[in-house]
Amino acid sequence: MNDVIARRSLRDQATPESIDAVHAQIEELWNDASFVPDLDRMTFATAVIEAATNVVQHAVPVSPAPVELGVDIFVKAHSLRAEVSAFGAADPELGPDAEGMPGPDAESGRGLALIRALVTTVTFARQDGTNIWVLSRDATTA
Amino acid sequence: MDLSYKANGSYTEVLASGRLNMVSAPKLRTFVADVVASGSNRIVVNLQDTTFMDSSGLGALIGCLKAARQAGGDLRIAAVQPQVKMVLELTSMDRVLTSYASADEAFGDE
Repeated sequence: MNDVIARRSLRDQATPESIDAVHAQIEELWNDASFVPDLDRMTFATAVIEAATNVVQHAVPVSPAPVELGVDIFVKAHSLRAEVSAFGAADPELGPDAEGMPGPDAESGRGLALIRALVTTVTFARQDGTNIWVLSRDATTA
Repeated sequence: MDLSYKANGSYTEVLASGRLNMVSAPKLRTFVADVVASGSNRIVVNLQDTTFMDSSGLGALIGCLKAARQAGGDLRIAAVQPQVKMVLELTSMDRVLTSYASADEAFGDE
């Protein structure tokens, strides 16, 4: 029941181009998991791209080496799960400011609030010097 | 993302095709800023071929809206697809960026 049906992983230098690579991986993933409804594909893909974009835009390297973006996506029968990692990044020390949607004039700052609206659970952890976002979305029941 | 524009009488239509994400968002900003600078302040961004938009893309649209309004005009969006509609609704920005069924209808009330 909880077996992984399809999986895609990538790890690359965290650059804007890596976001297009994440898009491509997600699109390929659905080839192996055609049963996933459009609504779940759309919401989950948007959340994963938001998290990966957050790494590319905001992760600060802890050493002269650039930050690397890792994306690991799993499809199970009733859930979708993604681990979005920033390797070699400083602790972002997320505060209460990371909550909520900014005002209508704001041109940025909606990413985290949007992720929370798109998935069932979102957790952030710092493990062995790596920042890891775990996003999970339960399947929509028809 | 591919960007093009055409003058349609009282407004200029900007056609944005592909993904509107952090890679293409700055391109859209520059493109619309150039259209506004060339003298068009009534803009319709036609999103019929925009398959994906994230918060970076949304931020760019808001920036473009401000640019058009600062020039005394307005910016409207048309033909949004389901993913873009979802992002607009979840961020409540559908109240600011009203979507019209087609580019023709966007300034049709004026």
